[in-house]
Amino acid sequence: MKALAVRAENLLAALAISGLMLLPLAEIFLRNVFHIIIPGAAPIAQNLTLWVGLLGAAIAAREGKLLTLATGEFLPKGIVENVALIVTGFVGAAVSTLFMVGGIDFTRTAYDAGEMIAGIPMWVAVLAIPFAFGLIAIRLAWRAHSWIGRGLAALGIAGGWWLSQHLDVIAGHALWPWFTALGVSALLGAPIFALLGGVALVGLLGFGMLPDLAVGAAYEQLTSSSAGLATIPLFTLAGFLMAEGKSPERLLRMLRAWFGWIPGGTAIAAAALCAFFTLFTGGSGVTILALGGLLLPAMLKEGYRERFSIGLLTASGSLGLLFPLSVPLILFAIVVSAAGTPVEMGHMFIGGVLPGVLMLGLVGLLGSREAIRQRLERLPFRVSEMLAATWEAKWELLLPVVVLGALIGNWAKTAELAPVAALYALVVQRFIHRDLKSNGDVVRVMDDCVSLVGGVLLILCVAIGLTRYFVLIEVPEQLIAWTSAHVSDRWVFLLCLNVFLLLVGTVMDIFSAIVVVAPLLLPLAAHFKIDPVHLGVIFVANLELGYLHPPLGLNLLLASVRFKKPVLEVMWATLPFLGILAGGVLLITYWDSLTLGILRLTGMYAGLY
Amino acid sequence: MIALMKRLGVISAVVLALGVAAGAVPQVMWQLPTAAPKDSIWEKALTDMTAAWARDTGGRVRATVFAGGKLGTEASIVRAMRVNNYQASLFMVTGGLAQIDDGFNALAIPFFFKDDAEMVAVRDALTPDLEKRLNAKGFHLLSWTTGGWVRLFSVNPLRTLADIKKAKLWTSDTDVKMTTWYKTNGFNPVPLDANAAASQLKIGMIDATPSPAYLALLLGMQNNAKYMLDVNLGPFLGALVVTTKAWNAVSPEDQAKLTAAAKVFETKTSVEMPANDAKAVTEMKARGLTVVQMAQKDLDELYATVGKLTASMRNDMVPAEMFDKAVAARDAYRKKK
Repeated sequence: MKALAVRAENLLAALAISGLMLLPLAEIFLRNVFHIIIPGAAPIAQNLTLWVGLLGAAIAAREGKLLTLATGEFLPKGIVENVALIVTGFVGAAVSTLFMVGGIDFTRTAYDAGEMIAGIPMWVAVLAIPFAFGLIAIRLAWRAHSWIGRGLAALGIAGGWWLSQHLDVIAGHALWPWFTALGVSALLGAPIFALLGGVALVGLLGFGMLPDLAVGAAYEQLTSSSAGLATIPLFTLAGFLMAEGKSPERLLRMLRAWFGWIPGGTAIAAAALCAFFTLFTGGSGVTILALGGLLLPAMLKEGYRERFSIGLLTASGSLGLLFPLSVPLILFAIVVSAAGTPVEMGHMFIGGVLPGVLMLGLVGLLGSREAIRQRLERLPFRVSEMLAATWEAKWELLLPVVVLGALIGNWAKTAELAPVAALYALVVQRFIHRDLKSNGDVVRVMDDCVSLVGGVLLILCVAIGLTRYFVLIEVPEQLIAWTSAHVSDRWVFLLCLNVFLLLVGTVMDIFSAIVVVAPLLLPLAAHFKIDPVHLGVIFVANLELGYLHPPLGLNLLLASVRFKKPVLEVMWATLPFLGILAGGVLLITYWDSLTLGILRLTGMYAGLY
Repeated sequence: MIALMKRLGVISAVVLALGVAAGAVPQVMWQLPTAAPKDSIWEKALTDMTAAWARDTGGRVRATVFAGGKLGTEASIVRAMRVNNYQASLFMVTGGLAQIDDGFNALAIPFFFKDDAEMVAVRDALTPDLEKRLNAKGFHLLSWTTGGWVRLFSVNPLRTLADIKKAKLWTSDTDVKMTTWYKTNGFNPVPLDANAAASQLKIGMIDATPSPAYLALLLGMQNNAKYMLDVNLGPFLGALVVTTKAWNAVSPEDQAKLTAAAKVFETKTSVEMPANDAKAVTEMKARGLTVVQMAQKDLDELYATVGKLTASMRNDMVPAEMFDKAVAARDAYRKKK
């Protein structure tokens, strides 16, 4: 029975993401061939994104894949871990229940108002909210190891419900005990969404608002027409599909054929391959997990030291974040545009190119240095191998060509590029390479993708409530006042920004950091005349570095798991890369032409200042 | 993070404590979020108005303005106002107002008004009905505002209705009925995100888009759309509304003071916004924009044909009763003129 329910849930999620992909594709086809448009395609796709995100979040909760702070990893096993699971389950379940109740009220209001979305009653679309948060609440309570533990954690559901009926317990009282409890539970390993959503709810309720304000903000965030949020699950799906089967091998062979003759050529090829996959999967750690098993043996075989190889692969796990189509760049554009500073995705993509090449080049430089110092043998440059390897990887290489061709040829709108990429990856992996042997494999990959994306979108949708709370208590204005009083120099501000973002990147995942911190930094950046596109690139570059920063950088922990090495050893291996990449980040921060140069030269964007 | 949270906790406690301390004088505190741009004439006028509210009521009614969509889109603000999370807002006719009640669509029929005087005559004639309809949905109309006229900006000059119909015309991808109306009546709509018009003009996905002039200037539309058709597509109208629940919590004396200040807001913005629009056109002309005048016979044909086509909006997009009243008020004004 349970297995059947799990399969049904997975199938529903796969159907939702398929719909999200097929609807715009149908529109592209009908528009270009028959000059027919599908009225309402956009709002339907936006609401499908809501379903994909929330179903994915429920699946992530089921699989224990919701994103958490890295601190939870350091808890000792045994009783401490068990208690932590009960506490985090209790808090997570309580926060989810409050969102569920807010979702029920929001659905009821939508029903009463009779709002319609492309002919479908809005209340039907928003039913996903109470449904998903209800499931998440139950699943978080279920994570405890014993029945007693589950019972105790489940009290969080009752507690959340009770709070929703007694809002005066929060409104008009000191909020810091609530914030402290949420902070402690996050340190113990509660999901990040529970921390951000919990602080948002407590703050808004303390301000006299109802829980459905946070839910309304979440709904707006996931369905906003300007968000282009649907691109996130679909680009990620394209990345997941390409990472399946033998695509990484084919690309590695090609990159080695091209660069193997350079000292450190295989190291450069490995870093470039990681960058390629990370730009689709958003540096969520998938790159290290998916490619580590292929790349580490390849490097060791060529004579690279194990410590160096682990350091390089750990550092490369977030290298692609500055390249075009990278999900964090998309997200930054979405978040700051929603916060009132319109930034075009295309400008972010182009702005990130040179900084991305710089960071990749710096890692490659260390690779070359290692190869020279270790006197590693270089691969002979053979034109025949280069051509053969390139031919073998032609379908993978055509992905960006097809996507950009659809845009340049005016067949697809910018927002439709992600479904084109996803469909292309699906066709290549299922029907051309046949790396995906069956439709069951396709559903499995879709579910993996949906659960990852769900975890991200869940954070995104609850964190907007926190942003609203900050706006209501005028935090941005206070930040500006404080910074203006204490920091007068632009360069000092940039240095403070570097340090602050490095710390943020150490404890927070990149998506939460963008959603929560970027809107707060915008007015400060404007005050110091820092262009929003430049700010975005600084932001992502710093966060890229945060992945490697001891003691909590996410890549360090993932690499420790993937390569079965103690975290301390991985930290030590990664230090040289951290050092050289920090130099890169400083260059990106203080030399804005690296980001804005191409945009200014081509006349695409002159910059705000 | 925890330090930050504690700090926020303290800030919140102080905010609340201040509220409690000030409780000696019965007062209401409204949140007034709006999608009107930050630092715009609207924001300034709203801030002046709320200062007048606080002053005139002796501090009994205070409101904080959050401009620039910082607290959400108009759709989201409407939903929050339905449960009184926010109490007041400035909405545009085609956004939040039509979402609350589709009767407001009577003021957004394409090429329905020729000039300001016609628009004002119809708007004033419909106001009592719109007030009633708003009240039925839990909202109270405080005052009107205008943002000038929406006009067509295009890559190629549009000189006739046939030119307009041929153009790849931006329409909102969330406004299904408008897109369908355009398509059914032989236009060539391209449904796109509201923020995408400027960038899609550049890559050729669309070659014409409706916009108020000041917004076109702000988005640099004249860089790609070098022509502006000097015919009013529709008024960029808005209104200041407050939830009935919040309104009823204020004494009748204070209500009168709030309304008076809101009327000052209406007068002020109704003068300053169109002037700002005219200034924007002058500035864009200096940057290479060509203003296209339609020949009288083509203009007559445009009004006559679109006038017939918009009849299909009756009932489908505009409630029949409101559509008929709008047509009657406009025709009566034209006759009187």
